[in-house]
Amino acid sequence: MKRRRMFMNCVALLAIFALLPIGMAQADGHCEFADYTITLGNLAPLSAPGAVAGGIAMDWAAKQAAADINADCGIQIDGVNHQVAVVTGDSEGSPERGQAVAERLILEDEVDAMLGVYHSAVGLATMGIMEANQIPTVFSEPWNDNVSANGIREFDGAPPRFEDGIDHIFRISPASSMVGSVVVDWLLSLGVDDVVLIVENTDYGQPAAADEKARFEAAGATVSQIDVELGTEDFVPILSRIQARAEAPDVIRIIVTGETSFNLTQQMSELGVAPSADTICVTNQFAFQSEQYWATVPDGNYCAFNRVGIIPSLFSDAAVALNAKYEMEFGDIVPSFAMATYDAVYIIADAMERAGSYTDAAAIVGAIEATDLDLSQGRYYFRFGGHNPDLPEGTPEFMWHQWPDPIVTVMQYFEPGQSGLDAAVIYPEVYQTHGTSYIVPGTSP
Amino acid sequence: MVIEDTLFILWLMVAGPLWATVGLFVMPGVNQDQPKEDQISKTTLQIAGVIGGFALGPIGVALLYFEPAMIRRTTMMVGVIVTVFATSQVLVRVVDPNLPSALWLILAGPLWAAIAAYILPRHYRELEADDQNVLTAAALGGFAIGPLIIGLMWKSTPKINRDWMITLGSLGAWQIYTLFAIQNPDNPCVLAPFSLTYLTQQTANGVVIGSIYSLMAVGLTLIYSVQGIVSFAHGQLYMVGGYFSFYFLLHGGNVLSDLTGTEVSINPIWGIPVAAVIVFVMGALFERTFLKPMHEGLIERAAEYAILITFGFGFVIEYTTLAVAGPFPQRTDRFIEIRRFTLQRTTITEDFAFGPINIIGDRAFAMVVGIVLIFALLYFLQRTWTGRALRATSQDRQAAAVTGINPTNMNTLSFALGSMLAAMSGAALIPIFAWVPWVGAEMVGRSYVIVVLGGLGSVPGALFGGIIVGIVEALGAGCHPDPSRGAAYKEAFALVIFALVLLLKPTGLFGREHN
Repeated sequence: MKRRRMFMNCVALLAIFALLPIGMAQADGHCEFADYTITLGNLAPLSAPGAVAGGIAMDWAAKQAAADINADCGIQIDGVNHQVAVVTGDSEGSPERGQAVAERLILEDEVDAMLGVYHSAVGLATMGIMEANQIPTVFSEPWNDNVSANGIREFDGAPPRFEDGIDHIFRISPASSMVGSVVVDWLLSLGVDDVVLIVENTDYGQPAAADEKARFEAAGATVSQIDVELGTEDFVPILSRIQARAEAPDVIRIIVTGETSFNLTQQMSELGVAPSADTICVTNQFAFQSEQYWATVPDGNYCAFNRVGIIPSLFSDAAVALNAKYEMEFGDIVPSFAMATYDAVYIIADAMERAGSYTDAAAIVGAIEATDLDLSQGRYYFRFGGHNPDLPEGTPEFMWHQWPDPIVTVMQYFEPGQSGLDAAVIYPEVYQTHGTSYIVPGTSP
Repeated sequence: MVIEDTLFILWLMVAGPLWATVGLFVMPGVNQDQPKEDQISKTTLQIAGVIGGFALGPIGVALLYFEPAMIRRTTMMVGVIVTVFATSQVLVRVVDPNLPSALWLILAGPLWAAIAAYILPRHYRELEADDQNVLTAAALGGFAIGPLIIGLMWKSTPKINRDWMITLGSLGAWQIYTLFAIQNPDNPCVLAPFSLTYLTQQTANGVVIGSIYSLMAVGLTLIYSVQGIVSFAHGQLYMVGGYFSFYFLLHGGNVLSDLTGTEVSINPIWGIPVAAVIVFVMGALFERTFLKPMHEGLIERAAEYAILITFGFGFVIEYTTLAVAGPFPQRTDRFIEIRRFTLQRTTITEDFAFGPINIIGDRAFAMVVGIVLIFALLYFLQRTWTGRALRATSQDRQAAAVTGINPTNMNTLSFALGSMLAAMSGAALIPIFAWVPWVGAEMVGRSYVIVVLGGLGSVPGALFGGIIVGIVEALGAGCHPDPSRGAAYKEAFALVIFALVLLLKPTGLFGREHN
């Protein structure tokens, strides 16, 4: 009896092991994959001094996109399905490290395309490497105008960055000037004429501040700029200096990222510098991650912030689904750079399918230029590139290989602890959700 | 500028050159009724008369005439400070604003600092006088008062004691401040009468944050003083202390809420002892496991080993925390519900008001916590047997062992205590700053500066070093002529002071010589 039971147990165990692969194949969604897995390199800051929180979100988003594509039978090329894998390299937010990692991804991991990049300095430093190795690349977060503007300059041949006449670099995040113009237009519409810019000392912060400063000054406003280093924790001395001015500024605009911006915004609020009856507080898009924002800036009610990406009330099904997955993973609202990274994987996958190749860089670049795809952030397309190389008079150079339609809005919290999804969209008017372009501290819209 | 015009006119009328001349002629009369052996030299009396008259006018001359016992070196130095400051202020107002800069450069400043530093030590040596600190005093004095210091020290070759150094240092600081005021008349740090409030505000900012820096630095210096090693895990222990507090408050609050059925939140003050206990144990275990073999001579290259093993410990803590807590910034509730303390504006005269001064509530609380903990540590070190044993071990391990102290246990205790202090400062700061797993990097760099500035191994040195660094950073950022760069150079200001102190006193402010 005992021996028989042991025999039956062994049979059951063998049956389980025998059936397991079948079950796993079923779990793969009945797809048959070719041996070759298409590998995408993702550059993201996963260690300090880079923006680690941003890097981890981008890493997650790229891998989530790959998983979703694989669940849908991967990338189909010539009737064969290829799985997609994402290898993330840690740029640490440093240009030198970013270059080394990009070379490793291209030469050792032999990636077929690249995406990601959070810090502008890393984007600017690694572009040449991708170009020299003819790797199609879709940047999803660097904002420096030159990331895309360099493409047209070199496409025009001065000096040529690439011998084959193809620019392999695309960008789907906004250029700094696109964000700055919205914020500046909004503030000018409110009649501000005394502006303080607090700016991080990076390849993102300085050009962005220069652009906004030029726009303010062109409109006759007075601008004072205060530079800070990323990682600084104590801002009280400089805030006391602002407080000591004879007249409070009309607005304090924070062009600083990561936890540094949280510390700055909180200390500004604690000291009563802004937001106040006299001074508007404008912080950055990180404020949209409301869990993080309220955890670290508990006094930051009535601070406005620029937001990149579609407004919550207009989230598409894809955006809602992505947001749900992100919330499950991180307990917060999906940030724009995670959405953009997720979409970047899809843009590359779509281009490879249409090009019918994962190795023909020229064909893939051509396919990306011809992209017309609805994803989590909206409809993607590239107006200017090899397919349409003549930028009309007055069109900024950064529109080259640039997704022209990232939505940039200004939002504002008006209740402590409010979800970013419920914050008021106050500018541009077409997106306004509460019928006002500024909520005065202490009031409700 | 620094003081109102009317004050200067008043000064010119009642003091200044006129009364200096009066002092010069009147003061020798002091000796008339004195026996010869008690008489003060005529030159000394004349110098005192000139300084007293110049600085305080008739009051100065009268004071010195009727109370010649006041003619002491310290009093004279104070008089010189007042005189130099007042002169520079008058020059700023009466003469072309750029002229004083040129005059200062010719009459004092770097040129005279170099001349004095070259001449005076040689003169002292020729006379076989005590030349300790003469080089420093000569450089400071030359910088501050130019040829005057050469004449003074050449003639009387005084022994340079702490009073001299403080006086000459203060004079140099005044000179720099005056020059700064000339060049930056609109800077909030010199803009009278407002500058007093502003400087007080920035100094208060510096003292508050500096006290918190001190607490972390004290732990580092304690470990160094006993073990002779620098803990490269200190920043991570500070960071993890904050996280232990955060998770204790989070989960403790949840447990209490479940038990009571109402929303309960625990004040972050309770997170400090919790973090202290956990990190104390962590530190003790680490020391016993990885550092004890080094002290027992089982490690061949002990110095390198200590650096690498503590660095590795920090690395493990940081990345374990990143894996467990994630990269997103955290923060606990406030210590106190008062967002900021404000000393309201007070009108003193029609033209002069003081205030308001703002201090963020939680920072003030953390400062108090930091100072209490440092004094508790000082009490422990000075008044308890174990504390004395720690100090004895730090001074001479072998002698301590002979008296029955177990140096191995003292090593463990020092590392555990030092780690605990780092964790406590982390737990005290998590309600103030956004907390991420790499938050210790900036803080620990500053701690190294503080402990070397204060003197490696000196607890009071770490306390004052922290406060000095805090004040210098706050004033540097607040007074920098270019407001756009002040914040970016914040840490560099502390490094400048650090370099100057090391140049003048290589053992640090409170350090002792090590063999």
